[in-house]
Amino acid sequence: MSKSYLKISLNEILFYFTRAASGVDVPIGLSEDFARSNIWISENGFDPSLVSLQALDNLDSKTSSLSIKFEKANEDPHLFCPENKLLSALKASVSCVDWFEVKGSSSQLKISNVDSPFLVISALGANKLIGLKVLWIDQDKNNYQVNFIDSEEWEIVSSSTNPIELSSNADIFISPIESDHIIHKDNSIKKFNITENKLEILNNGVEVKENWQEIYDYFSRCLVKSSAESRASGAGAGLVDSD
Amino acid sequence: MTTETLTIDNESDFMRSPEKVMRLDRMGSSFPTRLSFMRTLIRRMARENWKFERTRREVDKDGYGLSIYAVTTPHRTYSLVGFTQKIPDEMRTDRVIAEVWDATFNLFDGVPTQDDIDYLANNTPKQEGGRYRPSELALARANKSLRVFKNAVDSLSKGQQPDFDLLKSVGYLMRTSAVYGSGKFGCADRAKIADREECKAPFQMELLTVYLIRWFTIDSVEELAKERGGKKAVKLNKTSRQFIGVGNATGLGMAPFLLKHPALIHNWVVAKETALARVRSIETPLEGTLEAFHKSLLQVSQHIDEWNVDDALQSDRILCLTDEIQALRIWCEDELNISRPYPWNGIYHFVEDNFSLECQEMIVSLIIEPHGLLVDDLAETMSTNMIPKFDADMSLAQLKEVVEDSYQWATNIDFSLKESQHHFWYYSEDKLEPRFGSKGVDDGVEQEMPLAIGRDVSELNNLLSVTSNDISISEFVMMYPEFRHIIRRIQNTFLRPYSEVQDNLLSESMRPIDLLRFKLAFFGASKFDPKSDLWTRVSMYQGAPMPDQLSQPNYDSWSFPIAERPNHILK
Repeated sequence: MSKSYLKISLNEILFYFTRAASGVDVPIGLSEDFARSNIWISENGFDPSLVSLQALDNLDSKTSSLSIKFEKANEDPHLFCPENKLLSALKASVSCVDWFEVKGSSSQLKISNVDSPFLVISALGANKLIGLKVLWIDQDKNNYQVNFIDSEEWEIVSSSTNPIELSSNADIFISPIESDHIIHKDNSIKKFNITENKLEILNNGVEVKENWQEIYDYFSRCLVKSSAESRASGAGAGLVDSD
Repeated sequence: MTTETLTIDNESDFMRSPEKVMRLDRMGSSFPTRLSFMRTLIRRMARENWKFERTRREVDKDGYGLSIYAVTTPHRTYSLVGFTQKIPDEMRTDRVIAEVWDATFNLFDGVPTQDDIDYLANNTPKQEGGRYRPSELALARANKSLRVFKNAVDSLSKGQQPDFDLLKSVGYLMRTSAVYGSGKFGCADRAKIADREECKAPFQMELLTVYLIRWFTIDSVEELAKERGGKKAVKLNKTSRQFIGVGNATGLGMAPFLLKHPALIHNWVVAKETALARVRSIETPLEGTLEAFHKSLLQVSQHIDEWNVDDALQSDRILCLTDEIQALRIWCEDELNISRPYPWNGIYHFVEDNFSLECQEMIVSLIIEPHGLLVDDLAETMSTNMIPKFDADMSLAQLKEVVEDSYQWATNIDFSLKESQHHFWYYSEDKLEPRFGSKGVDDGVEQEMPLAIGRDVSELNNLLSVTSNDISISEFVMMYPEFRHIIRRIQNTFLRPYSEVQDNLLSESMRPIDLLRFKLAFFGASKFDPKSDLWTRVSMYQGAPMPDQLSQPNYDSWSFPIAERPNHILK
């Protein structure tokens, strides 16, 4: 299970991504949410290893942090990292989902300096939060808007040709979609149908490319080295079986 | 009284509590019931008149090569694609770490093309080392029972039936050592097939794979015998064919599954317990059911007699069971004991008050058995597609209340004691084999699998007890993300009271084999043959009808199978 350009199943996404996050010391509850987000990413035709590797690398190198604070400055709710680091999307995404689960989609939220905005998007999608729009301009000046229209459809609105999944750290703003939202003429729209995309993936598998090996390496940190003793006794069975 | 007029409104009065049912010692005494998944599958095969056909057999004189067996349901075809090869005897192991197997299989979704077969020929024999596609629904392998397989081929090739006592002592020709489905190694995700009628009950495609493997093993010895004996060769007689099951070696891999799917486990258990409660709540027995029960006590005595294992503890339990079934038969012969209202409840209570857990659970199966019309609908309720969600809107006060009410079994364990945290579960780098370690003895405690439900609840409870109710649960997990997983679990299990094993899974005395038996019984496996505290052998489909017997009226009568001595020996 260590080659690039593999096709993997959604169940494998759940298995490997949960443990890959644990491999960079993310608590298991957050790791489970991260893996569910990666299933949503995969179901929508994106390579989850491409989306998620940067966030795992950032945690591994301590460039990002799971520390998070909430404040309500000028009545605007706001999540941020209290340390002088990027806010890890693994933590930002669950806190953001929790916020909207409690406050509903008529509320709004700002998240500062989150390292992988698309992971936050995927968490909102995985938790079926609808009626929300998410806006950000990343460090490379690419601007994006994602609209969660209903339980079947979502869309990306952007003037950038840079893939959204590679969008770098940014402040992101989440608020309700206006009923008459206007799309600027310079922007293109890419629409996604969740059911159709999922069916396609279930019939064909999820393609993961060159970043997969590094995801697998993080996963491997959860494995215990085998010794002669554990090989002989850890599974309780003998090494040769005949009857 | 007919089923239609039977009142079962009071079934909840007869439900056994989760505190009684979800304990390791009782779980480790489980037996299959008519709601077990193999039984459900066989009933569907018969009801829908599934067609079975061997479509290819391209093997050499020793039986090595390719075989394909197809089954056609009302809506689609599934194909078992099997590859056989010669392997060194010393490399024949039931462990996950095995590298070669006598036979390897995929269940293919549809009819494979030659390109599909070529693809599988390059992957299936490698098992975990290969890669599979959404067209493959299951991946499996099996090794021969060398003694039985050889004896069967030799005997049949000479025109004789195999050594009956040998056959009876082992019960199968080949033994599976893994059957993977649900997206493993690239195979189809469950979501691909979950809406198909024949896939709705749990593990139906995996168990269809095993059923076809059973047919393959019987077909293989008969074909090999024909190859060797020519016209002199005979086929297995009907009795032996039906008695032969498929062996299975099950290790620790099953235990994490049970713990990671609490909602599913709740549905399994609540279906079985509801079935039992419905039967116990019958005031006047349905016609013929008591007679069927009396007969089953006789049959089960022989079944127990044929259930021989090396494990000292299980042997003692079997001995005790033998005496208890005999005592129960005598008790049931007294009209006074069973002619009272609610006779099934009376039998259950007599057994519960007087006999071992092993006997209690066997009687649960036996009293449910004659009541198909009353309970078989419950098989439809044993699946779930539920994905556990974190409920950020729950108040901390509510969470505290739930922990206090529903998790006393966990909060009452003293985890400060060394023996309470003796074990840990981990994945080895050796083919990801799940292993069970001891703290202070084995490496890897830092990579412990998150299966310590009781301990995690206990630690959460300690923290909750010093935390004010003024903060919200989302603020709490923002501060303490290490508890997010256990809070989510509690939120999703407290309304499903049969979802948790109510024992300490880390304790020194914990026997993973109890979890294995519990799950295997739900599958429908029999003849539990523990090889240590960590793995067991079982028989699957022993006594089940072969494809050509599915249309017979007694197709569903194969619980607690016995080896009926073939006629030629009786003479």
